[in-house]
Amino acid sequence: MTNANGTPSKVVQVSPEVQAIHRRLKRNQQMTRAFTYLVGILISLWVLIPILFIASMALTTPAEVRSYPKSILPFTPLSTYTLSFFLGSRGIIPGIRNSIVVAVITLVLSIVISAPAGYALSRFVFRGKDVFRLSILAVRAFPIVVLSIPLAVVFLRTGIYDSLFSLALMHTALALPTTILVLSSVFSSIPYELEEAALVFGCSPVQAFRHVVLPLVLPGIAASAIFTFVLSWNEVFAATILTIQNRTLPAQVLVTLNQSSEPYQFAGGFFMMIPALIFIFFIRRYLFNMWGQVTK
Amino acid sequence: MKANARTQGRRKLNWTPYLLILPSLIYLALFFGWPMVQGLILAVREEDVFLTLHVEAQQNSPVAGQLSRGTQVSILERQGNLIPPNELGETNLITEVWFQIRGTDEAGEEIQGWVPETRIRVRESDADGAPIVGSIRTRIGSDDPFTQIRDEPNAEAEMVGRFEAGASVEILDQAILEVWYLIRAEADGQMVEGWAPSRYIQVFGDVTQGRIDRGDTGQFTTKYIQRMVNDRFFMPALRTTLLIIVLVIPIQFVLAIIMALVIQADLKGSGLFLYIFSIAIGVSDLAVGILWYSIFTQFGYLNSILQGLGLIDAPITYLSANTRHWIIIAVCLAEVWRATALVMVIVVAGMQAISREVLEAAEVFGATLWQRVRYIILPLLRPSLQVALILRTILAFQVFAVVIVLGGGDIVTVLANETYRQYYDLRNFNVAAAYAIFILVLSMISALFYLRAVRTQEETIE
Amino acid sequence: MADIRIENLTKRFDSFVAVDDVSLTIEDQEFVVLLGPSGCGKTTLLRSIAGLGMADEGRICIGERDVTYLPPRDRKISMVFQSYAIFPHMKVYDNVAFGLKMNKFDTKEIDKRVREAAELLHIEDMLDRYPSKMSGGQRQRVAVARAIAMRSEVLLMDEPLSNLDALLRLEMRAELKRLLQEIKTTTLYVTHDQIEALSMGDRIAVMKDGKIQQYDKPDAVYDLPANHFVGGFIGNPPMNFMQGQVQRQDGRVKVRIGDFDLTPSDEMQPVLKSYEGKPILIGIRAENMETLATSAGDALQVEVLVVEPLGSQNLLTIKIGENLVKVATHPTFRVKPKSHVWLRFPAEKIRWVDRDSGRVMYPSV
Repeated sequence: MTNANGTPSKVVQVSPEVQAIHRRLKRNQQMTRAFTYLVGILISLWVLIPILFIASMALTTPAEVRSYPKSILPFTPLSTYTLSFFLGSRGIIPGIRNSIVVAVITLVLSIVISAPAGYALSRFVFRGKDVFRLSILAVRAFPIVVLSIPLAVVFLRTGIYDSLFSLALMHTALALPTTILVLSSVFSSIPYELEEAALVFGCSPVQAFRHVVLPLVLPGIAASAIFTFVLSWNEVFAATILTIQNRTLPAQVLVTLNQSSEPYQFAGGFFMMIPALIFIFFIRRYLFNMWGQVTK
Repeated sequence: MKANARTQGRRKLNWTPYLLILPSLIYLALFFGWPMVQGLILAVREEDVFLTLHVEAQQNSPVAGQLSRGTQVSILERQGNLIPPNELGETNLITEVWFQIRGTDEAGEEIQGWVPETRIRVRESDADGAPIVGSIRTRIGSDDPFTQIRDEPNAEAEMVGRFEAGASVEILDQAILEVWYLIRAEADGQMVEGWAPSRYIQVFGDVTQGRIDRGDTGQFTTKYIQRMVNDRFFMPALRTTLLIIVLVIPIQFVLAIIMALVIQADLKGSGLFLYIFSIAIGVSDLAVGILWYSIFTQFGYLNSILQGLGLIDAPITYLSANTRHWIIIAVCLAEVWRATALVMVIVVAGMQAISREVLEAAEVFGATLWQRVRYIILPLLRPSLQVALILRTILAFQVFAVVIVLGGGDIVTVLANETYRQYYDLRNFNVAAAYAIFILVLSMISALFYLRAVRTQEETIE
Repeated sequence: MADIRIENLTKRFDSFVAVDDVSLTIEDQEFVVLLGPSGCGKTTLLRSIAGLGMADEGRICIGERDVTYLPPRDRKISMVFQSYAIFPHMKVYDNVAFGLKMNKFDTKEIDKRVREAAELLHIEDMLDRYPSKMSGGQRQRVAVARAIAMRSEVLLMDEPLSNLDALLRLEMRAELKRLLQEIKTTTLYVTHDQIEALSMGDRIAVMKDGKIQQYDKPDAVYDLPANHFVGGFIGNPPMNFMQGQVQRQDGRVKVRIGDFDLTPSDEMQPVLKSYEGKPILIGIRAENMETLATSAGDALQVEVLVVEPLGSQNLLTIKIGENLVKVATHPTFRVKPKSHVWLRFPAEKIRWVDRDSGRVMYPSV
């Protein structure tokens, strides 16, 4: 009727064996942690050092770029000459502008088309749903090479070749499957009861969507939009095939690769990487939705 | 997954979901289905192989036979045929112009009809240059002094009257006709004869001989595929692509699993690791190529470091025609750097789906770390690994910019590169399409292979 | 011999102390229930014994061995998890066989034990199925089968019934008890359901805020709670507690509640003497008060506020002074709200609670 059924009759000292086990355990735990950190840091270095190299090349003088051996210290001397030389080169500013235009059109188009489909996939059960879902999964892996050539030929014949809009159409096609799947899982994360509550309290289905669902899914949609932007910005093959006068940045850099100097190339590579570095930071949490879940 | 379905108490079909997916369905059909079909057609079909000959000089008259492109033909007759104005731009078009004229014949009757323009000398034109008044030309070297006026702009049409040379006429209208030829040639041991539009025929000087320049119908052919296979870059491209895949993918998977384990260990700062590991997802393959180029180029970082460490005296050339193996190594490194994050993300998502209690249960019931990995983690990761393998392999078949930057496009080449080259440099659209279809076929084969080899069925412990 | 001895076990999560210097001994083949509200530390304690989460201070001994720093698989225990933790990618047979396989038993022995366990849990015809094709109740049986197939000396169970629906829970409770009586293992069972605890345990350890409040046989915990918390936690409805004032009248200690005086038993008189003039808490169970339809000298007249006919009893809600009290009567006792009844408080059923410490005071033996 008091506390625990008391102290054991034989008072056992902590035996040296147990002490040894304890010490070994602690050591193992610490070693595992240290090892994991070490591996993580090594891999991080593997990822970061090349970026450091190229950044260093882009932010230093052309003379330094051409020098050999390159100095161990990065960014010495620090200079924006190479970068501004690159930006001032023929076709680069228009290329950047074109890339942005294409990416924005792609972004808008893909969200507008994917959002309803994602909503349908998440909220409704309908005949053909599985087929639709499977086809999206299948199409996601489709080689862009297979699409670019015929589309290029067709665009040539119909006269919309070499237009930013046609490239944006191509990029939208690329981005659609992933966007639909991401948005469908974003919608699924909002309980349907919220919409039902809105319906009960007087909203039409569209109003319910606008007032309840939309604010909650905006972060997910934003992440998807950002990912699509980066996808379009980076795309090389179709851009090179489909644009001649109105080149996007990657197309321009690729096509002039043989004639361009190293400072130009390095500055170009670094510049193309900047959106990635910024944007991936913001959407890293959403990356898992984008590729996963073959299993429900 | 719980279904957030609208209950459909009524029998009536709810159209809403179908309406919602309609735009994407249309888009997908338009931009995936159709190009794939088009690409297939481009690759296996040769257009303009045969020319269809007609019984009469008209499109809708029955078919008299077929001759293949390049056949030498004899030209027997010619006739004009009305042509829609929008086709006037076709190449090789031979046309004749007929005037619609009105005038009085010798008998004093007013006659209106059509006559070839060669029979009229234009006397006056209006402000736009259109002829309005002319006179009948003399016929040189002919017995008949009269020019026949016809009902329609057709040499076979009914005659409505005649004018003699010099008669003055009003020119009311003109019609442009395409010349059709009655041609004859031997094909498969038989003589074939029929009418065909002039646009398909190249006429030699004296207009009695010609050659079929192009056809109007196509046929299925393996010629482009053969050309692709026999192209001297085909096997190297295929070999290099396969080599890259075989080298890169296993390394990536092992690395991705290690990265996923580091993140799952959930130490302090694993958020930072997550960000750093994922950076590569957003980087263009062109930028990655340039990145690794800066390391492997002759005056690049690799040599700088080696020289700085005293291991070499002079810069080694890695990216040249003599050092193909180095280029492959550089490409593999670049691909591992670039695409591992993708696999890692899929693997992490799969790992998070494994409940913690299941792993604890395994631990309680006696499984060592290795046994837990082998019997619990890996089997439960199978679906994710399967997805990752399929996606990564299909993407690997399309490796492009990295190879161009590091290999110059011709020292080391891959399938996607060849596709581009055929299209852009050589303008062989059909062969480029053949390459594209080949890549598609390879992708599908590997997807099927993975679906079978990495079975997602639950398995018993052996 | 597999008794479990826990000595001064403490487990912290950052600054939060989940298990606070707990010492406990579970005898060989005893069935002990760890009972308490959520967050009291019972699951943490169980997991520490299992090896899932190393203790910060203290020792755990199983039989002769000090297992405090051993990994789970070296502790020779079996466990049933709250979420069952069945391996989704293995058939039932392989799930049940898992522990035996990991401990390298030979195939014939594994087969024998798996089938025995399956029979005991009535899942013999499900051995070829996959868990995704089974109901929650069936999966729970698989989890139990997996645990008992090991024939470990120690069995740990973490709220195994809490994910079942009410009817199933009732069935499984009896089945589990019968089953565990047959196989002789030392069992530690965690639950927040006091009915489960009372029904199944040889002894119950009631926990709150990381400490053990009372460790005793079920009837002792029920009838002779150690403190206010235990009295209020155990029992349905919980023990009633009323405020009272200790007074001295004619040389005897009396306790005043509202207008009424309670007389403590003779044994309690000396204990309560020191509380003279101070307030005190009186505890009594709903079924321990005598309800009379007519007045009697030593009975208190009260007004009935709510009548809940529960079938097996009528539960009356009554106000005494400032306190709301639940009284249980025989189902045939007719009474209507706003009517009066008379209550008698048998002295030996009254529990006296020190207001400051919460401890229940008992006559010194």
